[in-house]
Amino acid sequence: MRKKLNRLDFEFKADEAKDFPADFVHYGVVGSGDMEIIIEKKPLDGAIRVTVLTPVSGFDEVWRRVLYRFVKETHIGNASIEINDCNATPVVGSLRLRQALAEIS
Amino acid sequence: MDKLIGKGRAAIGMVVDPESFREGVIGDLIITDKDFGPGAVIGTAALGNETCTIIAIDAMKTNRKFRVVYAGIIGLEEAYKMALAVYHSIEADKDNGPGEKRPLVLIVDTPGNAPGKLEEIFGMNKATGAYQLALAEARKAGHPIIALVIGRAISGAFLCHGLQADRILALGPKFGTLVHVMPLTSIARITRLDLEWLQELAKENPVFAAGPDFFYRLGGIEELIDRIEDMRGRVIAHIAEVRSIKARGGYEELGPSGRGALGAKRGGRRMRSEVMETMNKEFAAVADRYLI
Amino acid sequence: MSGKWNMLQSQSFLECNGRQRAFGLLDEGTLTELAGPRDRLSSPHLPVLGEAIQFDDGIVTGVGLIGKKPVFIASQEGRFVGGAVGEVSGAKIVNVVRLAREAFDRMVSARADLPEEKRPAVVISFDTGGVRLHEANAGLLAHSELMDQFQDCKGKVPIVSLIGGRVGCFGGMGFVAAAADVVIMSQNGRLGLTGPEVIEEEMGKDEFDASDRALVYRTTGGKHRYIMGDCNLLVADSIKAFRTALIEVLALPYGRMDGFRRIGSLEKVRYQLKLVDLCVKLAPKDSRDVWKYAGNENPTAVTDMSLETFLSTVRRLQVE
Repeated sequence: MRKKLNRLDFEFKADEAKDFPADFVHYGVVGSGDMEIIIEKKPLDGAIRVTVLTPVSGFDEVWRRVLYRFVKETHIGNASIEINDCNATPVVGSLRLRQALAEIS
Repeated sequence: MDKLIGKGRAAIGMVVDPESFREGVIGDLIITDKDFGPGAVIGTAALGNETCTIIAIDAMKTNRKFRVVYAGIIGLEEAYKMALAVYHSIEADKDNGPGEKRPLVLIVDTPGNAPGKLEEIFGMNKATGAYQLALAEARKAGHPIIALVIGRAISGAFLCHGLQADRILALGPKFGTLVHVMPLTSIARITRLDLEWLQELAKENPVFAAGPDFFYRLGGIEELIDRIEDMRGRVIAHIAEVRSIKARGGYEELGPSGRGALGAKRGGRRMRSEVMETMNKEFAAVADRYLI
Repeated sequence: MSGKWNMLQSQSFLECNGRQRAFGLLDEGTLTELAGPRDRLSSPHLPVLGEAIQFDDGIVTGVGLIGKKPVFIASQEGRFVGGAVGEVSGAKIVNVVRLAREAFDRMVSARADLPEEKRPAVVISFDTGGVRLHEANAGLLAHSELMDQFQDCKGKVPIVSLIGGRVGCFGGMGFVAAAADVVIMSQNGRLGLTGPEVIEEEMGKDEFDASDRALVYRTTGGKHRYIMGDCNLLVADSIKAFRTALIEVLALPYGRMDGFRRIGSLEKVRYQLKLVDLCVKLAPKDSRDVWKYAGNENPTAVTDMSLETFLSTVRRLQVE
């Protein structure tokens, strides 16, 4: 098997985006079926920029949906999100994103 | 062409002063039991007229007490025997100044540490660790330690018999020398990555490839030797160099850390220094909080 | 923050991740990570092979406090590539040990009568199969550097190995852990050199069945290592249990460390050779034979004993 670590980039803007309230947050472990996340405050005119590194190909749209939903529901804005993925399912992905946000409190 | 794989004993003869090797004797250590760690050959010889300790592997021997120990595999007895050789060398020269410590010459041809049930029960990890700690102690006391790879230098066995040396020399790949953690075929199987692809990548990236030339690029080997006739001269030359470097306190330029810097220089391990520098800076910024 | 540290104390050490362990082992709020995820010093080699990376390359390194004692800690993440050591994680662990020793040198040159309670210490939580094959040569070389750093710490900085994770401590890290001054394990921890699958490959399934969990734990698990004298303290599976044992050990004067070591001197090698002699004479088929020889009349019962019963009744191997 020849593998490739794919890089996916996205940008979203939520309605009524709220500034990400922390400088830096890190959460998770890149175990098999899991992922880690860094969320870092960044002035992006309310937007969220996401970079995903993943060894899985062809799931761009799934990532887009998961991330878009996260941004939409949390109204998070002005931050960059970096994800190191190791084959996490959308369910795990959504969960970890929320857990990362919860790290702030 | 002559290869030296499996010929550890012959290699001793090619390196030391003629007829000078006395097996089983180092300082006040006398080992006469031929069945004790038979694959590990230890003793005293003259090298350019000075006394030196020889630690070599005889891959033709089999340890009848331990099923998995043959063909140069380092088992419990072998590793502890080699540790004894080092400790007795230290003891024999303990009253000598740091510039007068006998050299230790490690002649390396081993496919691995013993992978057996008895070995796991009784702790092969301790045996191989013990030999390394002994070598590290000898090295830091001033003994010049030169490893000469004449055959296989593999994984944990190379870690204990070789990688603690001040300098590592190896006969070039045309002599069939093998220096690796495991063969690419096994790496491919375990990581489930395509073998041909790994072979392609290995050409440019020495980080997982097998072979003394790759190790050379990573700074894992100081010098590749092209001719068997040159082994003796190069060992002697490196001993002299190591002595003079130690005399001016340059221990960091030798041994594992010296090879770490070499790796950065030769381009094979670049992240290593960046990581260390980052940590050093970050620690310096908070040190006052901790070192009060 | 405070609630978090307290909550961690009662958590299973086995289930916690590397960061949680590091955070919970040290005094609350004292850990400063060095080369943490924020620095994003991940592996340059894994992406080439299409493998996922981790921002901290699978190991948490940093400095914290236990009382007044600066503690330099490395805590492996067993869930990332099996805790295996590559170029970056190798450099992190090597350098954190070096920083500890340099800290000692610096403190002692500032004041020669450094009190024991302030002597820096190194703590390493191992959860690894050894060298990361994807970066095999770099991982290998890091192991040699680590042993070199360990030797430099001799006489200066105590080194404590903690083993209680799912992967255990195998491969090159098996000898690194054994080279420390003190070894603390839980029953879940395993310490060895060669992994069970490779033993099975070498010896055949009849001799060693790697899928026989009980056999694997009898051969390299915490209880066995404790009986053999390879593990100094056997503790319960919680952060608090490991932390308590760590505090206890670090409170001892450095001169007491030699009593805990298993290798690192001619005398220790001579003792280990007596164990090797015993191995040859006894020709055990299983660890249980050694446990029985050590004075445990019912070796089969040892495996299922609770920790308390085990610690109060077990006979540890002593050889004259």
